[in-house]
Amino acid sequence: MISTVWLFKDALYGALVIALACSVLGVYVVLRRIVFVGAALAEISSAGIALALWLSGRGLGGELTHHPVVFALLFGLAGALFFSVGQATRAGVPPDATIGVTYAVAAAAGILLIAKATVGEAHDIFLQGNILGITRTDTFVLLGIAIPVLLAHLFFYKEFLFVSFDRETARTLGFHVATWNAFLYFTLGLVIAFAMQFAGVMLVFNFLVLPAVTGLLLARSMGAIFAIAIGSAIVSAIVGFTLSVPFDLPSGPAIIAASGVLASIAWLARRGLRRA
Amino acid sequence: MTAPLVKFEHATLGYGRRVVLSDLSFDIPPGDFLGLVGPNGAGKTTILRAILGSLKPMSGSVTIALGLRFGYVPQRDSVDYNFPLKVTDVVMMGRYDRIGVGRRPTREDRQRAIDALDHVGIADLAERQLSALSGGQKQRTLIARALVGEPNILVLDEPTNGMDLVSTTQILSLIRELHERDNITVLMVSHALNEVANYVERIALTLEGSFRIGNVDEIMNEQVLSGMYGIPVEVDRFDGHRIVVARRLATRERLTGTGGEQRHD
Repeated sequence: MISTVWLFKDALYGALVIALACSVLGVYVVLRRIVFVGAALAEISSAGIALALWLSGRGLGGELTHHPVVFALLFGLAGALFFSVGQATRAGVPPDATIGVTYAVAAAAGILLIAKATVGEAHDIFLQGNILGITRTDTFVLLGIAIPVLLAHLFFYKEFLFVSFDRETARTLGFHVATWNAFLYFTLGLVIAFAMQFAGVMLVFNFLVLPAVTGLLLARSMGAIFAIAIGSAIVSAIVGFTLSVPFDLPSGPAIIAASGVLASIAWLARRGLRRA
Repeated sequence: MTAPLVKFEHATLGYGRRVVLSDLSFDIPPGDFLGLVGPNGAGKTTILRAILGSLKPMSGSVTIALGLRFGYVPQRDSVDYNFPLKVTDVVMMGRYDRIGVGRRPTREDRQRAIDALDHVGIADLAERQLSALSGGQKQRTLIARALVGEPNILVLDEPTNGMDLVSTTQILSLIRELHERDNITVLMVSHALNEVANYVERIALTLEGSFRIGNVDEIMNEQVLSGMYGIPVEVDRFDGHRIVVARRLATRERLTGTGGEQRHD
């Protein structure tokens, strides 16, 4: 079994990079109660890819459409900016409704564009993700995004924490809350735009939410929640991936199932600790 | 004469084109203990936002003394207790601007946080989870966080909201003690006139677009309050405490609303 898995080691490395980056950002996503922003951003990025494919099939958009990642990135960052500004200004529509509208429209637009795209053979795999297709080059590209984002989060941890926990007080102490929020959302949009091309919307959403929830269930400090989130994301990626290859299961759902098992164990452990 | 920390000069405040309060002129001098009182929707938060600099006046001016540091205590429920933070971690946030962007708190910052907790009487809770504290303890934590930044003025937004009688008395006594012991300027925003009036030295009362400020004795008299509230009001004294009581309206007034019923949304 190990030798079979070893054939796909580059794919596993790529999955681990995605798991690491998404699980760190996921802590903010869960604590700030914006989990569906993660899902909406992933759908917006996928709509960007779908648009690139549709334009390419019609000979529109020139050379740029041969690089769907550019579209995914532009759409993802535009979405991140939209949500960060919405958080700050709170126009008439409730924030969760705005996220819901964006998610539905982006998902439908992606499906419609893909339905009419004429290039490529496995469009839906592009949108759903194909972990096994990750190459060594892809892993390096993912590392090129993940490392600066993680360093930014390490360096500006205090600032991201403060504007997430209590923005009003942060503002009175001179923190430019809108800018820090936009920066946080920017890193989120960046990671999602790159990760979803390989992992797909569902798996990215999983890595943003489930590991952080596992951490939240068990941790009693911010350091611990990050450590548990990263640990559970890595473990679920390895376990899900390793089981999916020999049993011929789709890797993404297998990893999500492993994340679910870990979150369930954390929930049971928390219940046990409370009763003790 | 000492320059005021905050100075309103004919300031009109509002949002977009909607004016909430107009032609406000008052000062907050150093050493003041001011209660900003009024029902919900009367403009307290608007004035507070103008003082904290997050709302520019539509006309006139609001001048903040150069280098003024606010020690802001938000409404207790505005803080997200879902974050797994220890009490010291929360208090240290009050020094984040002094620590600097991208830097980590030092041992000295941690010690100052513990000192601030000691100052408000909960040093023993330093390692506890914020979410596990009682309402009064959470409020003390937020006050400690405001104090650890060594502010010139302590600004508290509804510090006793949702508290029982004992916790309310303890928190108000603590705030008064901090003012008297440290001579720190205090601005306390509250909807509860009866609570605030017995602790502060001056009251700014805002109601339905009108605004009045003065010493407690000037504001807490029947003529002024009846005029502001639009209904007959009694100010009684009991054991040195002032108590404001609305006189019972006659049946006709209650049915027709001619007693000057106020909106308390």
